[in-house]
Amino acid sequence: MFRALVLFCAVFFAVRAGALEISRSLVRIESTSQVPDYKTPWNPGEVESGVGAGFVIDGNRVMTNAHVVSNARFLTVSKEGDPNPYPARVLHIAHDCDLALLEVKEADFFQGTKPLEFGGIPALESVVSVYGYPIGGTRLSVTRGIVSRIDFQTYSHSGIDAHLTIQIDAAINPGNSGGPVMQDGKVVGVAFQGFSGDIAQNVGYMIPTPVVRRFLMDVEDGRYDRYMDLAMTYQSLFNPAARAALGLKDDNLGVMVSSVYDGGSSAGILQSGDVLLAIDGHNISSDGTIPLGDEPVPLAEVVERKLKGDSVKLDVLRDGNPLALEVQLTEPWPFTLQANAYDEMPRFVVFGGLVFQPVDENFMQEHAPGNQRLKYLYDFFVEDSVYRRHPELVVLSNILADPVNAYAGDFRYAAVDKINGQQIKGLRDVAEAFGQKADVYVIEFVGEGRPVVLEGKAVAEARERILARYGVVNEQNLDK
Amino acid sequence: MAVPVIAGTTPQVQKETEASNPRDSLLRVNSNNQAFDFFRPWRKKPPFSRRGIGVLIEGGRILVTAELVANSNFIELEKAATAEKSAATVERVDYDCNLAVLKPVDPGFIKAMNPMPIDGNLKVGSELEVLQMEPNGDIARTAAKVTTIGVGGYPFENLGLLVFKAAVPLQQREGSFTLPAVRDGKLVGLLMRYDARNQTAEIVSTPVIRHFLKEMEDGRYEGFARLGLSFASLRDPQLRRHVKVTEPGGIYVTEVVPGGSAALAGIRKGDVILEIDGKSIDQDGNYDDPEFGRILFSHITSTVRHPGETVAVRISRDGKVEDLKVALQVPDRSRLVSEAHITDRAPRFLVLGGLVFVELSRSYLQEWGADWAKAAPQRLVYYDAFQNELPEDRGKIVVLSQVMPTPDTLGYEDLQNHVVLKANGRTVRSLEDLAEASKEPLGGFHKIELEEDPKLIFLDAQSVEANKDALMKHYALPALQRL
Repeated sequence: MFRALVLFCAVFFAVRAGALEISRSLVRIESTSQVPDYKTPWNPGEVESGVGAGFVIDGNRVMTNAHVVSNARFLTVSKEGDPNPYPARVLHIAHDCDLALLEVKEADFFQGTKPLEFGGIPALESVVSVYGYPIGGTRLSVTRGIVSRIDFQTYSHSGIDAHLTIQIDAAINPGNSGGPVMQDGKVVGVAFQGFSGDIAQNVGYMIPTPVVRRFLMDVEDGRYDRYMDLAMTYQSLFNPAARAALGLKDDNLGVMVSSVYDGGSSAGILQSGDVLLAIDGHNISSDGTIPLGDEPVPLAEVVERKLKGDSVKLDVLRDGNPLALEVQLTEPWPFTLQANAYDEMPRFVVFGGLVFQPVDENFMQEHAPGNQRLKYLYDFFVEDSVYRRHPELVVLSNILADPVNAYAGDFRYAAVDKINGQQIKGLRDVAEAFGQKADVYVIEFVGEGRPVVLEGKAVAEARERILARYGVVNEQNLDK
Repeated sequence: MAVPVIAGTTPQVQKETEASNPRDSLLRVNSNNQAFDFFRPWRKKPPFSRRGIGVLIEGGRILVTAELVANSNFIELEKAATAEKSAATVERVDYDCNLAVLKPVDPGFIKAMNPMPIDGNLKVGSELEVLQMEPNGDIARTAAKVTTIGVGGYPFENLGLLVFKAAVPLQQREGSFTLPAVRDGKLVGLLMRYDARNQTAEIVSTPVIRHFLKEMEDGRYEGFARLGLSFASLRDPQLRRHVKVTEPGGIYVTEVVPGGSAALAGIRKGDVILEIDGKSIDQDGNYDDPEFGRILFSHITSTVRHPGETVAVRISRDGKVEDLKVALQVPDRSRLVSEAHITDRAPRFLVLGGLVFVELSRSYLQEWGADWAKAAPQRLVYYDAFQNELPEDRGKIVVLSQVMPTPDTLGYEDLQNHVVLKANGRTVRSLEDLAEASKEPLGGFHKIELEEDPKLIFLDAQSVEANKDALMKHYALPALQRL
């Protein structure tokens, strides 16, 4: 369902600008961005522009959504009542929770502005106001609504991260993104996504302050790490037989660990079949929620609020024996492969007219390959530990047709397994293998019975010809 | 898959009036078929009927396509002119070649009829006729011309056997599911697919029909052998030099099916096949057939030769030419991880406390509809697609197909299409394994381990046993297992 969520870079309504207190804090952001081209990765990509909202917070910083300023090449901010756009720069950007902080070089900009303060989680049914620049207008707009629901939701900017989210019934439209949602003079959320009208009416989402505060805390050291994860899955424990078999009482407490992903925080600590009874001292209900604040929230909320290197204490029942375990939190690689990525250039290697690219969500979305084996390797990358053999999947993404590669056509979207006998673990290995002088380059693909063979001499002869004919300005990019 | 005949234009049709009437060899065949429901394996889907034309051949046999009588409950033969009817039974059906032979229950039924001889020697450009029947029993003939002769995929198994393709503007007529193609009053094939838009028909070819009938002769039917390998063309000169092939032609072996004919003969991935049965194989896998021209080598190994025969295969390995003997065999389908189709046979299942377990087959996947490869659970699709890469002892894939909620399955209601790895500590490689394991619960619980989340589920063994009757009654299940 979250795929239907639309990110809102601009929403507007009636205007009473100037009279409002908020007009001293609200900022209109214009962004010129460049979207990378994963099909012709040596090209610079299309230039686009968009409008979003933001607001001034302490330290002369402007807060907005990550998606408002993603892939930005040039940013300006302007305030109510001042027609001048001021050039701005991204200070920190967190794609996994769709938040960003901007700085403005000209100190004048902040003269007369008022930094907003953050509040807590607003109560259900309480009234909130949303400010922004919907549908591209230049004057501020305000809409009102009530808090409809507080729950975990996938943030569609990254597509894989789910955090606490507050649903409101105020109209939120493109252009509202990054604008403050206010209650009693304090920010209680940052407007960020909603549904398109044909899916649901009057459903808007804002990023609540626990997520915002965590972001601000994370960047205190000057860099954004990202959300940490236990890298495991759990299952509710309603079934009486399962409860009895696992040695649990009929007290509605505890969930069972299903998968523990190796390479993740919990690897070697938790096991499939363990029962989690408490996390940091909070009892875990059999549906996986913990009492935190007024409403029960998923146990992951404890992890959500922590930073890299922090630990989580877990009360565990293993084979009937209670254990007190501690998990130190690390980044959730390799899950991040399946997130939408921004602010990075496509990586690739061109050799003998064969284009090699690493596979990630951006690649899959743009190429939409029909190759069944590649889909398997990608879809089950984490679950089946494909990453152990292929930490980075590199595929033959395109063939710049030339006599040298006339018979490689069957291998489009096949994943590279070996080159000249060397196991390929990532794009750098590909570049390295082709960088070595050889009479012949034998490229083996995963699950393909026959290799592609390129003779060194033929590749060298074809090189200039292919680059010129296809306008390949750069034969490789190994860095993001 | 076999599209009965639908044509848009009005073709030239000559009504049959001559004395040498093919009508004496043709019968209407009405088959009442009922497929199994793989989602609810204890029941069948609604019945339907297919109508086609059967051809009486030597031996009192009536030849039809297998598809016409697939999953048949009742088959009826009908004389075109008099509408006399007789029930029939299937003497032999082979879904590999899409052919079946029927016998009337009353042998006297076909006494006055003339068997149709079988022709051969078709060439591209040969003219033939496709026969249909008018409601009054008259034969409607439509002229056809052979456009292509080559190895193509047959339905059910997608086995590559010889196909005649013909251009023929057929009219839509009742009862055209299987139609004979004849030349000079002799049978050359049976229509198995018709593309109304392009007005082309695919015809089960004479060599395939002859092979099928010959296999029936010795009373020990084996069918069509497979070499058991995949190959790639060897056109690329860079690849040719790399594999050190100096001889012309040859194909590159990309995959060898474990336990198959090629594997047992020692053929390996990476070998280059130069000759089969004394015929040179070109870079695309074709040989020069004296009758049909350049066609794929598998025509030799599947159709020209019979199971049990040995063919010489010349390969090149690391630049050295070797001669191997390949004993041709029909793969044991029951040993496949996922069978390509389950027809005329009820799917196996086991219900444990409301959890429904089945074995993976392509018939199961096809329950997701025409788009099953995309719509079905992808893990199961991959198991089916890449089954040759699984360990040889993988056995069947047992799937927790669905849950019929009972108090025992509380919390598990949403589970569907989960691959079962173990039950009560035992590895599960078949439904029998699961049935055996379920006799020995661990500490009073059935412990079932799944490949994916939630990974582990439990049932109360005593409660499952006690609730058996209630479960059957409640969901109207005729049985809790069929093994």
